[in-house]
Amino acid sequence: MTKRKDTTPSPEAETETQGSAAEADVATSTGIPRRAFMTGTAATVTAATVLPNLRMARAAETGPVKIGHIEDLSGNLAVYGVQKYHAALLAVKEINEGKTLKGGPVGSGGLGSIAKFAAAPPVMGNGDKDLKYVSDGGAMTGAGMAFVEDDDVLVDSGDSGLLGREVELIAPDGQSNNNIWQQLTRRLILEDKVDCLVAGFTSAEREAIRPIVDQHKQLYIYTNQYEGGVADSNTFCTGAIVEQQVIPVVDYMIQKFGPRVYTIAADYNFGQLTAAWTKAFAPLVGGEIIEEEFVPLSVSDFTTSIARIQAAKPDWVFTLLVGSNQSNYYPQAAAAGLEYPMASTVNMAQGYEHRRFKPPSLNRMYNCVNYIEEIPTARNRAFVRRWYEMFPDDPYIGQMAQNTYFSIHLYAIAARLAGTTDQETVKKALESGLTIEAPEGAVFLEPSTHHCSHYIRLATADADHNVSFVREWPSIQPWWLQRVGVNLVKHKEYKQYIPDEDPFFKMFAK
Amino acid sequence: MPLVLSLLYQFGTGAAFFFLAALGLVVILGMMNIINLAHGELMMIGAYTATLTYHAGVPFWLSVILSFFVAAAFGAVLELLIVRRFYGRQLGALVVTWGVSLVLGQGTLLFFGPFLPSIGIPGGSFSYGDFSFSAYWLILVLISLLLILGLWWLYNRTPYGLQAKATMQNADMARSLGVRTPLIYTLTFSLGAGLAGLSGALLAPTVTIAPFMGQQFVAPAFITVVVGGSANVIAGAVASSALLAAVKTPIGMAFGAFSGTVALLLAALIIIRIMPNGISASLQKFFNRRAGGAMR
Repeated sequence: MTKRKDTTPSPEAETETQGSAAEADVATSTGIPRRAFMTGTAATVTAATVLPNLRMARAAETGPVKIGHIEDLSGNLAVYGVQKYHAALLAVKEINEGKTLKGGPVGSGGLGSIAKFAAAPPVMGNGDKDLKYVSDGGAMTGAGMAFVEDDDVLVDSGDSGLLGREVELIAPDGQSNNNIWQQLTRRLILEDKVDCLVAGFTSAEREAIRPIVDQHKQLYIYTNQYEGGVADSNTFCTGAIVEQQVIPVVDYMIQKFGPRVYTIAADYNFGQLTAAWTKAFAPLVGGEIIEEEFVPLSVSDFTTSIARIQAAKPDWVFTLLVGSNQSNYYPQAAAAGLEYPMASTVNMAQGYEHRRFKPPSLNRMYNCVNYIEEIPTARNRAFVRRWYEMFPDDPYIGQMAQNTYFSIHLYAIAARLAGTTDQETVKKALESGLTIEAPEGAVFLEPSTHHCSHYIRLATADADHNVSFVREWPSIQPWWLQRVGVNLVKHKEYKQYIPDEDPFFKMFAK
Repeated sequence: MPLVLSLLYQFGTGAAFFFLAALGLVVILGMMNIINLAHGELMMIGAYTATLTYHAGVPFWLSVILSFFVAAAFGAVLELLIVRRFYGRQLGALVVTWGVSLVLGQGTLLFFGPFLPSIGIPGGSFSYGDFSFSAYWLILVLISLLLILGLWWLYNRTPYGLQAKATMQNADMARSLGVRTPLIYTLTFSLGAGLAGLSGALLAPTVTIAPFMGQQFVAPAFITVVVGGSANVIAGAVASSALLAAVKTPIGMAFGAFSGTVALLLAALIIIRIMPNGISASLQKFFNRRAGGAMR
C-alpha cells in the first residue's frame, strides 16, 4: 500500500506534467513515460490498471486538437476538393489566431432582421378602454434593418486556439477514389485519433466512409450539399439539402417558365435521389416531370441527350450534372443552340461553370444556393477578402468551401461550450441549438436531425454570365426528416431515408 | 424528316467522337502494339497547348496545328527516354505509361490549377424542325474524314509508311534491309502522340479543360481500337467508330444516355466475342476469300 502511494503522483503534479507536455510532441510525452512507469511499478495490480486509464483520459485532452479532413486534392473531383481544403486551412488558422465566427446556442434566427420601426408607439384600443385591437396609431417612420448587419462576423474568441490548445489539421488526399477514402478514414480514426472528422464531397464517398465512422462512433461533419435523408447519430450534415434547394427553385421555375420539366441527372446516388425528390415534389407546386434521363459519370458527348431534350420540348431543363466530364453539357448545349432555361442545385455555386465557360453557355441558369462568392453582403465581402489574402491564386470560393469553413468554426464553438474535446460531449453540445454567423448568413444546426437551416438565395446567370439574385429566403429549415419522425437526440439512428419511404408524396403524385 | 436528319447528325458526331478519341491510339496501340495508358494525357497536352495559345491570342486553327507539333515533340522525348526500353514487353509498357499518365495529370494540376478557361465553340448553330445542329461538330466530322484520307495516304503512298509497316511487321528483317528502325519507332510514336494532341485540341472547345480531362477519352479510344483490330488499323478504326455510333445513337435517343452506354459496351463485347481479332481482320478475311474466289 505504502509503495503505491509513493509512486502515484498527486493529481496536481499530474496536471502540471501534462500541461508542460502539451508543448512537446504528444505521442512521445504521454506514451513512453507511461510504459516506463508501468514496468517500474507493475508490482501492484491496481496501479497498473487504474493509472493508465486516468492517464489515457487526460492524454486525449493535451497536445493539439486534431481535425481530420479528407477531400479530393487530385483526380476528377479535385476542383471542389482543393477549395474545401483551403477553407479548412483558413478556418484552422483563424481559430489558432484566437478568432471565431459569432454564434452560440441562441436558436434559430441570427443577427439582423427586417422590421418596421415606429417613432411613437401605437395606441391600444379605440381611445376608450376597449383593448380588443391595436389602432392605427403611432407614427411609422419607416422600414428597414432593425439591426444593422455587422461588417464582419469574425470576432475574438477569447481563447487561444481551442480550449487553450492548438488546432492541427490532418488533411490527406482522397484522390477521387472511394477505396482510398475508406483507408484514410480508418487511419485518421485509429492512428491519428482525430477529435473531429470533416470530409466528403460526393454522396458515394460519404456512404463509403459512414459505416466506418459509425463503427468507431467518430464525430463526423459532412459539409456538402446533398440529396438529404441521412439520419445518423454520429454525423452532422451542414450543407443544404433538397427541401432547401430543390423545392424553392422548382417552385420559381414553374411559376416563371411553366410546368413541363426535363430532368437530366448524373447516374449515381446523388443524381438518382435528387431526381426522385424532384419527381416527388414537383406535383406539390403544380409541375410535371415529362422525362428523366440519367447519364453515367463517364459520358462526355451530349449530342444525343441534347436531341432528346429538343424532341421532348420541355418548358425548362433541370440539370443535376456532376464532375468535369458532365459539365461539358453546357458548352455543347449552347453550341447546338439549345436555349431552354435551366435550373440546378449543383452548378455555378460549386464548379463555377459561369466563370469557366464562354458566355452564353449558362444563360438563364437558376440555382438555389446557400452560398456563392458573389453574395454582396458586407460580411461575405470581408470573408472573400480574408480568403484571397491567404490564397491569392485561387480561382473561386464555392458553396462547399464556405460550408467547410463555417463547420470547423462551428465545431470549435461546440467544443468550447462542452469545455472538452471528448467526442460524445461535443456531439451533445452540437445538439444544443447552435447558431453560427456564416458568410452566407445565420445558420442554425437543428438538434433533432443534425441538419442545418440555411440562408437560401436564388442566383441566376444572364447572357454575359453576370450573377444576380432574384429571390432570397433568410432561413429555410431542413424539415423532411422531422416529418418522418427522426429525433436523434432521443433515438439513435444510422440510416439514410429516401422519399419512397414517405407516403406523403404519393398523395400528390400524378 | 427532321428526326431522321437529327439521327444522322448524331450518328456522324458520335462516330467522329470515337474516331478522334482513338486517333493517336490507332497508331500507338494498333501499329506499334504498345498499350499506352498515357493516351488521355497526350490528348490533354494537345488541349492545354491549344487553350493556352488560343488565350494568348493565336487564332484557333493555328493553335490546333501548333498542338500537334507540341504533342509530337513530347511524344518523341517520351519515346527516347522511356518507352524505347519497353518494346516487346507489353505489360511493362502498360505500367510505365500508366505511371507517366499519373505524373502528367498531377503535374498539370499542380502547375496550372484545376481548370483553364474554356475555348468557346467556334461556329454557330442552325435549326431544322424541332432540332438544332452545331456547325463545329459538322466541321469535326469533315476533319475526321480528311484525317482518315491523310493517314491512309501516309501509310500507303509514302516511303515512311512503307518503312514503318516493314518495321512493325519484322524489325530485324527491316533493319537488315537498311531501314533505320530506331528512327522509325521514334517517328511513329511521335506521330501517334501528335495525332492524340491534335484530336485533344480539336475536341477542346467541347469539353472541360482540366488536368484529368484525358481520362474520359481513354475508354472509348481503347474500345474503338480493340474492336477495330490490328489487321488494318485505319480501316478497323473507321469501321468500329461507325458501328459503335450506329449502336449507341438510336438506343440512346430512344431510351436515354444510360441505355446508350450499356448498348455500346454490349456491342463491343459481342463483336470481340465473335471477331476476336477485330472487325478489320474479319473484313480482310472476307475480302481475301472473295479475291481468292475470283482468281479460281
